[in-house]
Amino acid sequence: MLLEVRNLSTHFETDGRIVKAVDDISYCLDTGETLGVVGESGCGKTVSALSLLRLIKDPPGRIVQGEIMFEGKDLLALSEEEIRAVRGNRIAMIFQEPMTSLNPVHTIGFQVMEPLMIHKGLSRSDAMRECIELLKTVQIPDADIRARAYPHQFSGGMRQRVMIAMGLACAPRLIIADEPTTALDVTIQAELLELMKRLTVVKGTALIIITHNLGVVARYADKVMVMYAGRIVEKADTRDLFRAPGHPYTRALLESVPRLDQDLKVKLRPIEGQPPDLAMLPSGCAFHPRCPQCMDRCRHEAPALKNVAERHEVACWIHD
Amino acid sequence: MREYILKRVLISFAILFFVSILIFVLGRVLPGDPVQAALVASRMGPLSDEVIADVRAQFGLDRPLHIQYILWVSSFVQGDWGVSIASGERVLDMFMHRLPVTLELFFGSVIWAFIIGLPLGIVSALRRNSWLDVTVTTGAILGVSIPVFWEGIVMIYLFAVLTHIFPPSGYVPLSESVTGNLLSVAMPTFVMGTHGAGLFSRYVRSSLLEVLGQDFIRTAYAKGLPRKTVILTHAMKPAMIPVVTVVGLTWGYVVAGAFIVEYMFAIPGLGRMGVNAIFANDFPVIQATLVMVAVNILVVNLLVDLLYAYLDPRVRVQR
Amino acid sequence: MALVRHRVAFAGLVILLGLIVMAAFAPVLAPYDPNEQDLYQVLQGPSRQHLLGTDDVGRDLLSRVIYGSRVTLAMGILSTLFAAVIGILAGLVAGYKGGIWDAVIMRITDTFMCMPALVLALVIVAALGPGMKSVVISITVLAWTGFARITRGQVMIVRELPYVEAAHALGASGYRIMFRHLLPNVMAPLIVTATISVGMNIMLESAVSFLGIGVQQPTPSWGNELRIGYSYLEIVPLFSIAPGLMITLAVLAFNFLGDGLRDALDPRLRGEEKAGS
Repeated sequence: MLLEVRNLSTHFETDGRIVKAVDDISYCLDTGETLGVVGESGCGKTVSALSLLRLIKDPPGRIVQGEIMFEGKDLLALSEEEIRAVRGNRIAMIFQEPMTSLNPVHTIGFQVMEPLMIHKGLSRSDAMRECIELLKTVQIPDADIRARAYPHQFSGGMRQRVMIAMGLACAPRLIIADEPTTALDVTIQAELLELMKRLTVVKGTALIIITHNLGVVARYADKVMVMYAGRIVEKADTRDLFRAPGHPYTRALLESVPRLDQDLKVKLRPIEGQPPDLAMLPSGCAFHPRCPQCMDRCRHEAPALKNVAERHEVACWIHD
Repeated sequence: MREYILKRVLISFAILFFVSILIFVLGRVLPGDPVQAALVASRMGPLSDEVIADVRAQFGLDRPLHIQYILWVSSFVQGDWGVSIASGERVLDMFMHRLPVTLELFFGSVIWAFIIGLPLGIVSALRRNSWLDVTVTTGAILGVSIPVFWEGIVMIYLFAVLTHIFPPSGYVPLSESVTGNLLSVAMPTFVMGTHGAGLFSRYVRSSLLEVLGQDFIRTAYAKGLPRKTVILTHAMKPAMIPVVTVVGLTWGYVVAGAFIVEYMFAIPGLGRMGVNAIFANDFPVIQATLVMVAVNILVVNLLVDLLYAYLDPRVRVQR
Repeated sequence: MALVRHRVAFAGLVILLGLIVMAAFAPVLAPYDPNEQDLYQVLQGPSRQHLLGTDDVGRDLLSRVIYGSRVTLAMGILSTLFAAVIGILAGLVAGYKGGIWDAVIMRITDTFMCMPALVLALVIVAALGPGMKSVVISITVLAWTGFARITRGQVMIVRELPYVEAAHALGASGYRIMFRHLLPNVMAPLIVTATISVGMNIMLESAVSFLGIGVQQPTPSWGNELRIGYSYLEIVPLFSIAPGLMITLAVLAFNFLGDGLRDALDPRLRGEEKAGS
């Protein structure tokens, strides 16, 4: 296993209230695999990803428990310096806002070179050469000239290519892409995801794609993890999940998305209600106020993940 | 970029035009006829109306106002700034004589403002909400509130009367003695720079905090950069760019400070010349002082704007 | 931080109330008549009879400082009121009427902006002749521009709002719209400006008086006390330091309060550091 997350919990404390943004999640990922993490905004997707690299601002956030085994080491046990050697080097992260995730006062080239210089110890000129290669790989035209340009001179799609180049720079074993294409046009989204997938397949890089777009998951992920209110509610191989969604929330998600292979007469159904306030979670199963199949038990007891089929886990009482 | 510079220069000239009108009007509207003052100052005794009319004609004061204005501007631009009523010296000579002294004070006060305000603002942002931050932010309000003249008095009392570290007043030219010069300007420049130091620390703090909250800072951490590098190369540069505008904001206080400080510390610069001219109703000197104050402030603000545009790639590369 | 800011604003309010009480009850609080001279006791240091000592003609300094609060506060507040009235009117006209009105008024404010207030104040006071009236006039002439700019800026924003357009459509007259709809909306920033402006005006008045062409003796103002005291700094330091401290406290109080009010009336987002190690 490349990555094994065990019982990870990340809490935030604001005004004396504890928000369990990530609550006791476990999953694993092998070399070359792609994991899709799905859920509505505020369900803990991004925080769980930031926790992997220990990029949670403390205070107010804190990783309160768990283990993150990566390449045989527990990332949570590493010293500050050791975790820095992992960031951007063994695990890279691509953020969702290409507009604001690049530093406006430094050139594109410098920002792509940076990880090369600190992790690989390349000289400036070597790093520059490498950087131009990288920009070419992500298909930025006139890479050698564009390297000297500033982020504001790039379109959103181009900036996200730069972010990808930056992520690929040190040939990491794992890339975490947090809503990498949400802010972009649909056509560019597809192009970039294709590119990312291709580049990671070539190098056997594992990929975690965080998204609320089930289409993206269906197309690119080998396995899927559905999150709700900081917890994993369903975990399965992509095919199994789409074929036989086990959790009412997963089903609701699927029904709220238009699908090409579906009869046009089937109505799209938005999920009723709002995602819960993490500081004031309902008792029992957090989804019960919105659940069409809510039972008495759901209001009092929270269900744990349980195998419903081989490599398919669901946290719901209907499978009890 | 070129277009931007051109636009800013044109705006400055337009404002200068309005200022010159204001100064011109001030000279005509305010009581205290310059000619009368000149004649009284030259102790020619009570004069007949004819003589006064004669002198007025000599000064061109019998012409229509707009002609007078054009005459005044054109002679001013040509370096004819008139003659001091009090001393009979050419105003331009007086000005040139005192300019280096005042420039040194300006320079010194900006240095003080920088070396106090910058580090305080930075630590206050990095140690947000600590006792140090609270002290610095409160001190910054004190810095912008404390009247120049009172600060000067307290400084003189502490460092000249009680401890004799610095001379209480006077100015030693740089050509005479370097240490003497530095000692003589230390207190005056500090007092002039206090307002700027307060402003600097406030702006640096809020600007740095704003930048530290940006997404690209998270990107920098995610790359594996150490905190020091993140702050120095990724946060400081974008945070410091808007801070240059503080020089423009505080400049009015620096210039006004020169008037009081030079008067208090008996420093023979332009501010003292201006104050004395005001006391003596020496209109040609007052007029020249006002014009040069306005030119100075406009030029500094123009430079600050251009520097800002130059430093920020978002402005520099596009325009 | 919010708590600290509240505390700072509160401190400003307390100082301010103290100063107002001092001014209002000056005859009760002052141990002596501020103008009573005692030529046998000039330039005394602090003593039991004279807590702050005496000045160069033997007047009780404490009493003069207490009475000085009346003059200084009154001038600071009066000139702010005058400036506010003129500035708000000018800003309303510029913002609401636009066009040539706007251009002229804004060019005038631009012009004043590039001259330090103190320098212009000195020239105007000197020309009008020393005295309280000249000081108030000159400060008013200089201070209105800030109010005009802020009012205009807010009016520009507010007049595009749907309900103002609605009032217009309903046939409300220009003046009615200006006073009934626009003004209430610009109140918050104006109150902040006014508060800080009082502090600045006190500073200006004191500076002009310090240079000897403002409030004239024997009327006690902190600025002119400071001026005389400055000559005797080596003999009786309190003579200049005490009135100067009062000026600083007053300016500080208004600035603290203005800062606190700005935070309370105009809450902006404050940057949060995102991720760190």
